[in-house]
Amino acid sequence: MAKKDNGFLKKLLATFKVEAEEHLKTISLGLVELEKTLPPEKQLEIVETIFRETHSLKGAARAVSMTDIESVCQALENIFAAWQRGGAIPSAGLLDSLHQTVDVLEKILSSPEAEETAEHKSKMAALIRRLQGGAREPGIRNQGTAAEQGVSTAEPQFLSSGPQPQIPTLGDTVRIPRAKLDRVLLQAEEFLSAKLTASQRAADLRQITTLVGDWEKAWAKFRRSGFGMGPVELENRQSLIRNSQSREFLEWNDHTVTSIEEKLAGISKSAELDRRMLGRMVDDLLAEMKSLSMLPISSVLEILPRFVRELSRDQEKEVDLVIQGGEIEIDRRILEEIKDPLIHLVRNCIDHGIEKPEERKQNGKRLRGTITIALSQKNGSKVELIISDDGRGVDVPKVRSAALRLGLIPDDAPALSDQEALSLIFQTGVSTSAFITDISGRGLGLAIVREKVGKLGGMVSVETKPDAGTAFQLTLPVTLATFRGTLVRVNDRVFVMPTTFVERVTRIKKKEIRTVENRETIPLDGQVLPLVQLSDALQFSRKNTTDDSRDTALLVILGSAEKRIAFLVDDLLNEQEVLVKTLGKQLSRVQHVAAATVLGTGQVVPVLNVFDLMKSAARATVASVKPPIQPEKEAKKKSILVVEDSITARTLLKNILESAGYHVAAAVDGVDGYTQLRSSEFDLVVSDVDMPRMNGFDLTAKIRSDKKFAGLPVVLVTALESREDRERGIDVGANAYIVKSSFDQSNLLEVIGRLI
Amino acid sequence: MERDWTHSVDKKAILKTRAKALAQEQKDREALEESIELVEFLLAYERYGVETCYVREVYPLKELTPLPCTPPFVLGIINVRGRIVSVIDIKKFFDLPDKGLTDLNKVIVLHDSEMEFGVLADVVLGVRSVLVKEIQPSLPTLTGIREQYLKGVTAERLVILDAERLLSDNKMVVHEEAAS
Repeated sequence: MAKKDNGFLKKLLATFKVEAEEHLKTISLGLVELEKTLPPEKQLEIVETIFRETHSLKGAARAVSMTDIESVCQALENIFAAWQRGGAIPSAGLLDSLHQTVDVLEKILSSPEAEETAEHKSKMAALIRRLQGGAREPGIRNQGTAAEQGVSTAEPQFLSSGPQPQIPTLGDTVRIPRAKLDRVLLQAEEFLSAKLTASQRAADLRQITTLVGDWEKAWAKFRRSGFGMGPVELENRQSLIRNSQSREFLEWNDHTVTSIEEKLAGISKSAELDRRMLGRMVDDLLAEMKSLSMLPISSVLEILPRFVRELSRDQEKEVDLVIQGGEIEIDRRILEEIKDPLIHLVRNCIDHGIEKPEERKQNGKRLRGTITIALSQKNGSKVELIISDDGRGVDVPKVRSAALRLGLIPDDAPALSDQEALSLIFQTGVSTSAFITDISGRGLGLAIVREKVGKLGGMVSVETKPDAGTAFQLTLPVTLATFRGTLVRVNDRVFVMPTTFVERVTRIKKKEIRTVENRETIPLDGQVLPLVQLSDALQFSRKNTTDDSRDTALLVILGSAEKRIAFLVDDLLNEQEVLVKTLGKQLSRVQHVAAATVLGTGQVVPVLNVFDLMKSAARATVASVKPPIQPEKEAKKKSILVVEDSITARTLLKNILESAGYHVAAAVDGVDGYTQLRSSEFDLVVSDVDMPRMNGFDLTAKIRSDKKFAGLPVVLVTALESREDRERGIDVGANAYIVKSSFDQSNLLEVIGRLI
Repeated sequence: MERDWTHSVDKKAILKTRAKALAQEQKDREALEESIELVEFLLAYERYGVETCYVREVYPLKELTPLPCTPPFVLGIINVRGRIVSVIDIKKFFDLPDKGLTDLNKVIVLHDSEMEFGVLADVVLGVRSVLVKEIQPSLPTLTGIREQYLKGVTAERLVILDAERLLSDNKMVVHEEAAS
């Protein structure tokens, strides 16, 4: 029983914490407001609000028997009640201690148990004493004595209208823990893979329908030609009888195939319908889920007023914060990501922008500086956020010299325009601050801001005017758009590039590639862009098998912020929605790879990290896009078929043989191998023995029984070491038998070298 | 006919007493000795075992997507029912020499509350119990695997890996910032 009670109390406490945090937030915001010079009615309105909040908090604390919090609230109430009656403006000193009170309460609530420890108790006792003093002390400028009256008895006036309801009511809104919502959201996103799979299936069926169509055409042609039989044969009576039998069979065949075709058409059609229906359902669900996670931007901005207040006080500056358009809604996950960049930018405004009052006075400015955060909806999917101050502006020459010092711009570079120089402040290490403090000056902040905003698919830019101020402009997406990816192939591997960063895809003639200062460049729209081979950026070893005899190169132009780089890829496959998945706990951060996705076919494909790519492209060694060499070697290149069911062994064999200069095709078992042998030319077969469907012995026997492959050497690579097995291998006609346990690549290559 | 019948009665009786005796012994043993349960597998012609409590599942390796810019012991990633799991080759992790060509057809997914990854194996032999007292500390020279990753070796030379240690080892975690 006691245990049950305990659990219930814990639940209550958790609810109380959430509620209390909200009350405290409102109180704290109200206190900040009160510091401004406001008309008395407005002030009273605010006092009324924080009074109500304090009262609700008191009630909630009483419900979970947090008696000390209750008494702190009582003390706060007394003060607010006195203000209300007195219509008074509180002093700065008293406001400070009120802020501290809120701080302490927040700390107590955020401690894991949220219990009233002895330390907390003593702290709160001190607070209460101070607050009780505060109610009497000079806090009230106008009518100091009026406060005395209500110290102990003050109960808020509005209480007469009935007690505040403490029981949660079944209203229009429900409180759902964020973790629960996130889980549902993730699950909803998983449906995307169902949608992708459905369209894959529909495409597969369409392909089969086409195949059947092709067959039908060929068959009809064959039929018209009289089944390939000449008149002479038809004259033969016996063959006529046989012919009538085969005619019957063919008739039946025709019927069967026609009905299969009809059924196939039906299935294909319904698969297409399913795909469409599922697609719409999934899209609708995802859109609804997205709207569930929309929150007004003000929810992250709430922390700023106090932050500005404290930071500016520490730096002996006077700063007002003006927020416009905080009601615009944005995806919660974007808000979470944008919180730190926002704080950083505001900190920058106070740190570097706003001058001290004396300096402002000298320059003929208002003593109090202003930071404005203005939000506006650009269109359905983008929000513009401008953070501006009326401070001294960014010292552009200083930025320029800092960048020069870091070697970000070469000494002899043509003079940068002011705007170009200004954008350098987003580079790592560039700081105009002469000394490094604990909060700024290391030149990292803006680089991080840009990376974070960029990751969200947003942009950041800056404008400044000497002595008039600086404005940072952030363009952010409203929702986390469904991730779209561009699928490219390089070195026979498929990768996804986030489409947001793909500026365009283009094909250029290889001879247009020029080397400038040891780097390859291409001309594009009258601009010169650096060119990097994607395979180099990803540190693939160069393939010595240059089958690339095309005289054009396929380029993907990636752009983030003001940088643009052309990446050379082998092939462009598709552009589609992808569901992004993390790489798992062991791969916490992989260079160049941000995540992975699963295609409709089930294939796992890495998603590239554009920021890493841009970074490493900057230091990539000079790539060499060779002009097409006339493939004289090509003709001599021998071709080998590797038949092996284990993917690791298959890949290993393929790599060994390819790096030895062979052309290699791979098959997953004997049946697959035999099919491939019949469809293309090979000089040699390397086969595993133990495989599903058709093993290596059977494959060898089958090869030997076919006249066409009489001379084709077969090398068996096997785990079977016994003499009988070896003999069996020789019996079926293998040319060599390599035991896996003693396998090494030189003996394989040597054996192959001897055979072809 | 009759003979068969008596015979079967005898058999029954014998089996019964035997079963009783065995059950008794098992009980005594369990009371006296602690045992651990292992998933036993073959890797490069050696027998290894990991404790079952760290094994989430055994998965056949059909497709493997290699990742660029990862250390050699990371072979790539696979899709395990919609979840991405990284696959590592412990031979490469321990710098063991490559011995022959092996199948590496199975992935043993190891996990604890903090970490998860798949370990490649050639053949998974099954699950078995090993008495704790039968595990002897291993000589590092025996397998080349550093002692710290081993729980020990049984008399039949089954090498027992310390899965807990592998899972909590920082060297296993890939965390590489892009060089600039």
